[in-house]
Order: sequence, then structure tokens, then C-alpha cells
Amino acid sequence: MSDKSAKKRAGLSNKERMALSFQEMSLLAPEERIQNFEEVPVGYSLEEAIAEAKRCIQCKKPDCVDGCPVGIDIPAFIKLIENGDMADAAKKIREKNFLPAACGRVCPQDKQCQAVCVVGKKKEPVGIGSLERYAADYERQHGTLELPEIPAATGKRIAIVGAGPAGLTCAYELRIRGHEVVVFEAFHRAGGVLVYGIPRFRLPMDIIDEDIEFLEKIGVQFVYNMIIGKILSLDDLLEQEGFDAVFVASGAGLPKMLDVPGVNANGVYSANEYLTRVYLMQADKFPEYSTPLYQGKKVAVIGAGNTAMDVLRTAKRLGAETTCYYRRSREEAPARTEELEHAEQEFLNWHWLANPVEFIVDENNFVKQIKCEKMELSDPDTSGRRKPLPTGKYFTEDVDTVILSLGCDVNPMIPATDKGVKTNKWGIIIVDEETCQTTKRGVFAGGDAITGGATVILAMGQAKTAAKAIDQYVLG
Amino acid sequence: MSKKINLIINKLKSEDEESISLALNETEQLTDITDDDKIALTSNLTQLFYQDHVGMSEMISLANRAEKQITRFGSVVIPFLIDELVNADAESCAHLGRVIAVNGANAIAPLLDTWNKKRSDQYALINLTQALAYFRTPEILQTLPEILVAADSSNYQLSSNVINATGKLVVRIDPNQFDEALRLQIFNISFSHLTDSHSLVRMQAARTLGKLMGKGLLTNTQKEDLRTAYSAILGKDDNHDWDDAYIVRREAKRYLPRLKTTPTSVTHYQQSFKIISKKELCPKTFHYVIEAPLIARKLQAGQFIMIRPHELSERIPLSICGWDSEKGHIEVVIMSAGKTSIQMNNLSVGDCFKDVVGPLGQRSHVRHYRGTCVVIGGGFGTGAIIPTARDLKALGSRVIGVVGARSKDLLILVDELKAVCDEVIVTTNDGSAGTQGFVTNALEQIIKDERRVSHVLAIGPVPMMQAVCELTRPIGIETMVSLNALMVDGTGMCGACRVSIDGETKFACFHGPDFDGHKVDFDQLTKRQKMFVAEEKQALETL
Ligand SMILES: Cc1cc2nc3c(=O)[nH]c(=O)nc-3n(C[C@H](O)[C@H](O)[C@H](O)COP(=O)(O)OP(=O)(O)OC[C@H]3O[C@@H](n4cnc5c(N)ncnc54)[C@H](O)[C@@H]3O)c2cc1C
Ligand SMILES: Cc1cc2nc3c(=O)[nH]c(=O)nc-3n(C[C@H](O)[C@H](O)[C@H](O)COP(=O)(O)OP(=O)(O)OC[C@H]3O[C@@H](n4cnc5c(N)ncnc54)[C@H](O)[C@@H]3O)c2cc1C
Ligand code: SF4
Ligand code: FES
Repeated sequence: MSDKSAKKRAGLSNKERMALSFQEMSLLAPEERIQNFEEVPVGYSLEEAIAEAKRCIQCKKPDCVDGCPVGIDIPAFIKLIENGDMADAAKKIREKNFLPAACGRVCPQDKQCQAVCVVGKKKEPVGIGSLERYAADYERQHGTLELPEIPAATGKRIAIVGAGPAGLTCAYELRIRGHEVVVFEAFHRAGGVLVYGIPRFRLPMDIIDEDIEFLEKIGVQFVYNMIIGKILSLDDLLEQEGFDAVFVASGAGLPKMLDVPGVNANGVYSANEYLTRVYLMQADKFPEYSTPLYQGKKVAVIGAGNTAMDVLRTAKRLGAETTCYYRRSREEAPARTEELEHAEQEFLNWHWLANPVEFIVDENNFVKQIKCEKMELSDPDTSGRRKPLPTGKYFTEDVDTVILSLGCDVNPMIPATDKGVKTNKWGIIIVDEETCQTTKRGVFAGGDAITGGATVILAMGQAKTAAKAIDQYVLG
Repeated sequence: MSKKINLIINKLKSEDEESISLALNETEQLTDITDDDKIALTSNLTQLFYQDHVGMSEMISLANRAEKQITRFGSVVIPFLIDELVNADAESCAHLGRVIAVNGANAIAPLLDTWNKKRSDQYALINLTQALAYFRTPEILQTLPEILVAADSSNYQLSSNVINATGKLVVRIDPNQFDEALRLQIFNISFSHLTDSHSLVRMQAARTLGKLMGKGLLTNTQKEDLRTAYSAILGKDDNHDWDDAYIVRREAKRYLPRLKTTPTSVTHYQQSFKIISKKELCPKTFHYVIEAPLIARKLQAGQFIMIRPHELSERIPLSICGWDSEKGHIEVVIMSAGKTSIQMNNLSVGDCFKDVVGPLGQRSHVRHYRGTCVVIGGGFGTGAIIPTARDLKALGSRVIGVVGARSKDLLILVDELKAVCDEVIVTTNDGSAGTQGFVTNALEQIIKDERRVSHVLAIGPVPMMQAVCELTRPIGIETMVSLNALMVDGTGMCGACRVSIDGETKFACFHGPDFDGHKVDFDQLTKRQKMFVAEEKQALETL
């Protein structure tokens, strides 16, 4: 039915829609953008958004919705954009995802909705992420966001540990069910990786601040500088502070380090440290902001995931000659395609198949060179994956800063301070998949804490699952 | 009046159930009834409400059917119904209340009108309040300010009815419709009747307050007051004087557990980080008492805090040299080293630090030792050893303190340390106080003099800690040191504080700060501490 009316209104058949050309989002010119921290993709104009929305053929059985970890009604919101009902489009997205501005920017759509988009079978898939961003930005700019009705208080109180995407989502979901929600955050700022990891040029700070403000407006309470496990234990929360349940969303904040000589040299950072210094503590504005950053002229970044791309591009913006070292080839790089491509436009150097084996230091323990072994790829094994193999050939290059972007393990604070919360051998908090309940009664967990470093949207999906289960748990 | 209507009315008037039922059937079939007929019918239908139905269940269903019909007549019959209500008996009152209330907003004005006219007729007022309780339209709340006044009536039935009806509205109507003033009025009036002389009134008050709380209509102070009041009703406070009426206690018992959760406001978790006192210990070194009740409650010897004095500054680690969990105070010593510590030392009593995070790190290694324990402090480290010394001593060990400084005027906290040690030895490099020399000289002497030294803790500048370790290593005395690595978050998330312990990388903030000194790579620590020398200088220049 909607298909028919859609055809009439837009006057387009599916065939015509399929023939429309993909609206590429324009980017700031590389020469210009590496001079500052401005957001790189500029976002669709109204015309571009509508033109891109027209490419969606409004599938009756939309695969994209199944491809979305939180099940946004994608064709519906795209239809609304096509009709020019931007505020409603944003509202539609918000039915399932309350961080649309962030997700439109940072979700790996190429591995989710857009990967399965029907149009993508023949042509470039519909730019779902860009459209999501457009609707969300429209809502922000035009102030069309309405506060949801909060039902009568249930008298139940839930404590959330960590104000990253998982914690924020769970807080939202429980608040709109009428519970009292208090978020405890270790840092002085909410947002988790969104503020101390993901760079401003991909996700401007004010977006997260607006989302936090929104949560505050609907009555979610935030307390900062509170490390749960240290200042209050889970038992304190449940027994003494009168919380009916706790949601642990403490993320994957434990940086993996390399076990090679020189790893503790001066000038060798974890990506966490580097990004925290720059974004949370604003070391880029040193010395106005007092947190220092020893930023060399030649920066080596180890790894090729999303974090590595962020670090590379950050270092470049801080004026360094920057090189990526990765032990596999570009094809295996775990970064999402778009990030990799954007990074590649920014005058970086790439050393694929290079495995760092030593950081050579000077007499003051400052790193001065990186020594790598050249690698080659094995034939695909039974799983189809090609392993990097050592070749016995080495090369050395001068560097004065090394940033290790090797991923993170789960933050150990909660399991370390409460033996009731069990982890598996990788330190990941064990939960029941259906409910996200941990091995401790009344304690639920989600986000990177139960997966290891993953994605914003997955963290949100789990938080929603947990919220549902917590709701039942506290009312049952 | 049409014949048809007359016939129905006659049937209604009969005492016979069957004909009444028939009459109701016929009424149900009627369409296009004139207003007069509606009123005539209503006046007869309402008579059914008065029938004595004890032992006659059929009458109840007839009365309910009559209710339905009256409802159908709409607002023309409201004045009649209200007149009827004023004189109704207890049973009919409920029926009349319901049929009036279904009219919603339309019924409100006539109701208030009657209320004002009948002010002196308490019986009428009781009936009117009962009707009130059946409304579901939020507009009904407009009448409450007026009606609530009657709760203070000397007629306890009126008083309890008003409070009861209010409680019912609290449950029925969307909490968002209760404005600030109304919430306050309901709370105050109900609360004042918790001590009414009549138990029925007290019970209704206790119940209505419980409902208010349940719907989230109370502020935190109100909740706190209510909690105290319920506790008193149950004799759970210091007076042990419970309300002698069971019905009142029952309500308090029902709602008190739901108030157990006092800290509904996060203000409970907000710490001011205010400077309570500031004392200069020696040039450039100050002792602070800071308000941080939550941290104070959890601190253990050897732990530290991260502090960010203001928005633009960095987070820096500080050891804790004391705390008072009762008063909610923590104590630190800050030595001006660079920009941030100088900025902090420029603050005065009454100023607040922006952020303080803690307690961080692991507790110091403390247990009962057979032999002597020696705690050694240099610089701000003298403060840091005090809590651990106290714990060691509390566990029954003999504890000797050693404090070292370049000269007399740089010595700090000697008296404070003496208070927690069996003995304290002071050394100065220039001999201006205590024995001349380094802390290691004193340690050597102690090792010679004491029967056995089992444990050494050293906190201070790296060279000092390193020298102590070199001294104790060959003779195998367990030696702990607190590593002051550079830190960013202090919680184990960045790795800035990496130290090598026996060749293995550890995070000083999370695994430490205390480590087995014989396993520490001091050379690396020293060099890593100098990582930002150029930047620190640049920062200092901006002061
Ligand atoms: C540099 C970088 C780039 C990334 N880019 C992308 C991307 O483009 N797209 C994408 O989808 N994902 C990306 N990710 C991954 C994504 O950010 C995470 O999967 C997501 O943030 C996980 O959310 P979370 O809420 O589980 O944890 P986090 O975001 O890590 O939040 C955890 C929060 O808990 C707090 N906390 C920890 N312990 C405690 C405690 N004991 N008490 C109180 N609070 C505590 C922390 O301070 C933090 O605020 C990136 C990650 C990084 C590091
Ligand atoms: C666990 C721990 C406990 C500490 N406890 C205290 C304490 O109780 N009182 C106190 O005054 N300081 C303490 N420090 C040291 C304090 O954190 C530093 O003095 C502070 O970070 C200096 O900051 P700044 O901006 O003033 O100086 P910066 O400009 O950062 O540094 C100036 C100079 O101070 C020295 N310095 C810097 N950081 C450290 C450090 N981490 N350790 C030792 N020297 C350093 C260096 O020589 C540096 O060149 C502690 C450090 C740690 C890690
Ligand atoms: S799969 Fe693609 S074309 Fe089909 S509804 Fe989703 S976005 Fe539109
Ligand atoms: S200070 Fe960041 S891990 Fe220790």
C-alpha cells in the first residue's frame, strides 16, 4: 500500500529509482582539513538528502532493518526524508536509537544496513548512515526534538556504571519506563569513548553534550568522578544506596601493549593515552590547557583498526609526519572502509606487512627508531584468513613518537572488586545473552564490557536488551 | 411526558425486580429522549441506588444497569444528580458519585458550586468529596485547593473523606498534572493530619502520603520527613512510641520500605572538594584538609587520589596522608613542583577543587610483622607513610619512622608521624636537625640496632627510594616503595603510568602504587618521569 502511494507521490518507479545516482557526501579538502579539527564529511544538503532518499526502493521485506543492530525502521525514515518530513524522520529513528547524530556518523554501515541494502546488489547501496545523520542534524538545528513522556514513577532505582554509549542508552531506556536512573561516571565528563576516543573531526563534541543534556532533561541523573568498585562497590549500590539493579557499562578501557623491547620508552603511548590527552584533556590546546603531549615530528602508529585511523589523523593534525605500521596487508585492515579511505587522503605514510619488533631508545629512554620485521601473507587457511608470516628481513626507521593502537581489553575494575561478577579467560564479563544479567544477582552488563572493543551500536543494542530485562527484574 | 416514559417510570417504581428489569430493558431501547424525560427517568432510576439490597444480589446488578442509563443521559441531569448526592446515604453515594464523575469536566463547575453553597452542611460535603474520588479528568484537580481546606474540619469523617478522596485522585490522575503548589498543599495538609486525634484520619493521611510518594510526587526533603514520620508511627525512632492504632501502623508499614532509599537525589553523591584548612608545612609545601565524604569513607592506607583543580588543568596524582570518615575529610600534602601544583597551592580555604577522583590504587602491604617495620619518608612522602605506619602499628608491629630532608626548615609532619610510630628518627643532609646524613644512614643504624627488621616502606623522591632498595636488597629485607609515575587517568585506562616490575609491565595506578622495591626498574621510572620536561617548562611560563 505504502509502495503504491510512494510511487504516486514521487512519481518514480523502482526502475527509475535504481537509475538515480548515488549522492556522495562531500568532504573537506584534505589539504585544508589536516590543519584543523573540523568535521571532515560536511553532511548532505536538503537537495542531496532528498535525492539520496529517492534511491531507496522501499523494499517490502527490507533487509537493511535486519542488518541494523537496533532495528531502525530504515525505509520508513527514508520515505519521510523523501517527503521532506525531516523532523518526523528523526522521530522515526529515535523510536529505536536515541543517539542518531552520533550513530549516523560513526556506525560501520558498510558492515550493517548498507551491506545488505537491496539497491547495493546492483549499485552503490543507499546512503543510510548519511541520511540518518541528515535527519538527526536537521532535528538538532531546528530544535524539533520533543521530550518523551515519562510515565509515573515506578519507585525503582537503577544505577548505571559508566556513561559511554551502553550506559547512556540503558539510562534512556529505563528512564522512559518511569524508573529513577543515576549514572556514575569515572571521568569528569560523560560520553565514554565518544569523548575520550573518537576524534572531534569525526564526531563533534557538542553532539554528545546535547545528548547528555537531553538525558538530563528527561530526568536521568549524572554523578561524575565516581569510580564504582572504589568509591562505592556494587554491594554498596544494591544494599546501602537502595538501588534495585545495576547496569555495568564500564567499557573496554584496558589498552593492549606490545611485548617488545622499548615498549616503555618515553614517547611510546597507548592510543588511549594519546587520545585521552588530546580529546578529553584537550592537550591540543596546551599550554592553555595544562595537560602536556610530547608530540614528536615523526609519529609511528601501530595497527590499522578504526582507532589507529583516528590516531593517525589526530597526529597529522597536530603537525607530525605520520606513518602506519601494520603486520598484515591493507585488505586485512580492520578499519572500516570509509575511515581507511579518509585517512588515505590525508598524506599519511603506510607500511603494510611490517611488524614492529623493537623500539630503539636514546640514552634518556626516548624512542628514536622503530625496527620492524617485514611480513608476508600465508595462503588462505581453512577459515579463508591469510596469516602474516615472518620473513627474517628487517628495516629500521627514525621516529620520535610511537602510538600503539592494538585494541583494548575489558576494563577490569568491576570484576576485580566484586568476585560475584565472573569473567571469562579474556576478562570479558560473562552475561546471559537473553537478559545481559551477570553472574551476580541484580547486576547486568553490556557494551564493550561484555564483548571487548566493539561498536557504538552494538553497545546500544545490548543496553536495550539489558534495559528490558532490568525493567522486568525490578518490577517482577 | 410521553406515555412510553410514564410506563417505564411506573415499572421502575414497582418493588418487583422483574418489572424493574423490564423497565431498564425498555430504557436501554429509548432513543431521542427529551431533556425533561431524562430528568424524570433519572429521578426514578436513582431510586434504585437506595434499595436495600442485602441478600438480593440482583438488586446490585439493577443498580449498575441504572448507572449505565443515567450515564447515557449526559450533562443535563448533573444538577439533579448533585442535589441527590448531597442527601444520599452511604450506598447511593457511591453510585451517584460514579454517574456524576463520568461527566468529567462538565460536572466540575456545578459540583464546586454546590460545595460553596453547602459549606455549613458537613454531611453534604462528605458526600461531595466521595464523588470527587471517582473523577478521572485532570481538570478535577482544580477543585482540590478549595476542597482540601475541609480536611482541617473538626468533623473527622469529613476530614478523612477529603484526604482519602485526594489519595484516590493521586492514584488515578497522571502525576504530571499535579503542579508544584498542589503537591505541596496535599503534602502539607496530609502530613499535618498524621498526628490527628482520630485514628481514621491518621490512617488516611498516612495512606495518601504513601500514594504521593509512590507516584513520585514528593521532593527529597518531603520523603525524608515522611520517612521520619512513618518510623515514628512504627515506633522505630528513638522515642519507641508507636501509634496505638493498628490501621495507622499498617499504612506506615506498607510504605516505609519504599522510602528506605533515602538518597533519591544525587546531591547525596556530590562532594564539594572544598578546602577546609590549609597549613604551610615548609616553603612551597602545604597541608590541606579537603571535604570529600565519599572518598573518606572508603580510603585505605597507601591509596591515592587524582585531582584536577580547575577546568583547564591536568589531573595529577596525590597521596593521602590522613582522613576522617566521620567528618568526611581527606588530607593531602602538596609540594609546588610545576604549573598545576603551584596553581593548587595558590588556592585558599573555602576554595574548591574541580574534580577529585578516588580512592585509587591498591592498599599498602600491611600485616603483622614479628620484626621491626621501618617507614621512610622524604618530601611529600612523609605524609604518605603516615596511614600505613598507623596500620602496621595497629596490627601490633613495632614501627620506626625515618624522615629525611635537606635541612631543618624542609622537615615536615614529624610530630604527626611520631603519633603513629614507636620511634621517629630525623635526618638532615646538613645536620641542622636530627642526625646528619641521609635516610639510608638512619636505616643502616636501625638495621644494626634492632633485633630484626622485617619490613621497610619508602616513599619519596626516586633516588631516595632507589637508595633504600639498594641497601636492603643484599640483606633480603622486604622493601615496598610507592611509585610516583606520571599519570593521566589514574584508573588503569591509559598506560601512561607503566613501570617495569621484574621485567613485566605494570600500571602503577592500578596494580600499585606500592611495589616490591627490589623488582622495580628505577632507571626507567626516573627517565619516564622526565618525559615532559620541556612541556612542563613551557606550561610554567604561562603562569
Ligand atoms: C578511538 C576509537 C574509535 C572508535 N571508533 C568507532 C566508530 O567509528 N564506530 C563505532 O561504532 N565504534 C567505534 N569505537 C568503539 C566504540 O566507541 C565502543 O564500542 C563503544 O564506545 C562502547 O561503548 P561502552 O558504553 O560499552 O563503553 P565506553 O564508551 O568505553 O564507556 C565506558 C565508560 O565507563 C566509564 N567507566 C569505566 N569504569 C568505570 C567505573 N568503574 N565506574 C564508573 N565509570 C566507569 C568510563 O570512564 C567510560 O566513560 C571506537 C573506539 C575507539 C577507542
Ligand atoms: C602515586 C603518586 C602520589 C603522589 N603524591 C604526591 C603528594 O602527595 N604530594 C605532592 O606534592 N605530589 C605528589 N605526587 C607527585 C605529583 O603528582 C606531581 O608533583 C605533580 O603531578 C606535578 O604536577 P605539576 O604540574 O605541578 O608539575 P609538572 O610541571 O608536571 O612537573 C614539574 C616537575 O615535578 C616533578 N614531577 C612531575 N610529576 C611527578 C611525579 N609523578 N612524581 C614525582 N615528581 C614529579 C618533575 O621533576 C617535573 O619536572 C604523587 C605522584 C604519584 C604518582
Ligand atoms: S534495503 Fe536499501 S533499498 Fe531496501 S528499504 Fe533498505 S535502504 Fe531502502
Ligand atoms: S594513569 Fe592511566 S593507566 Fe595509570
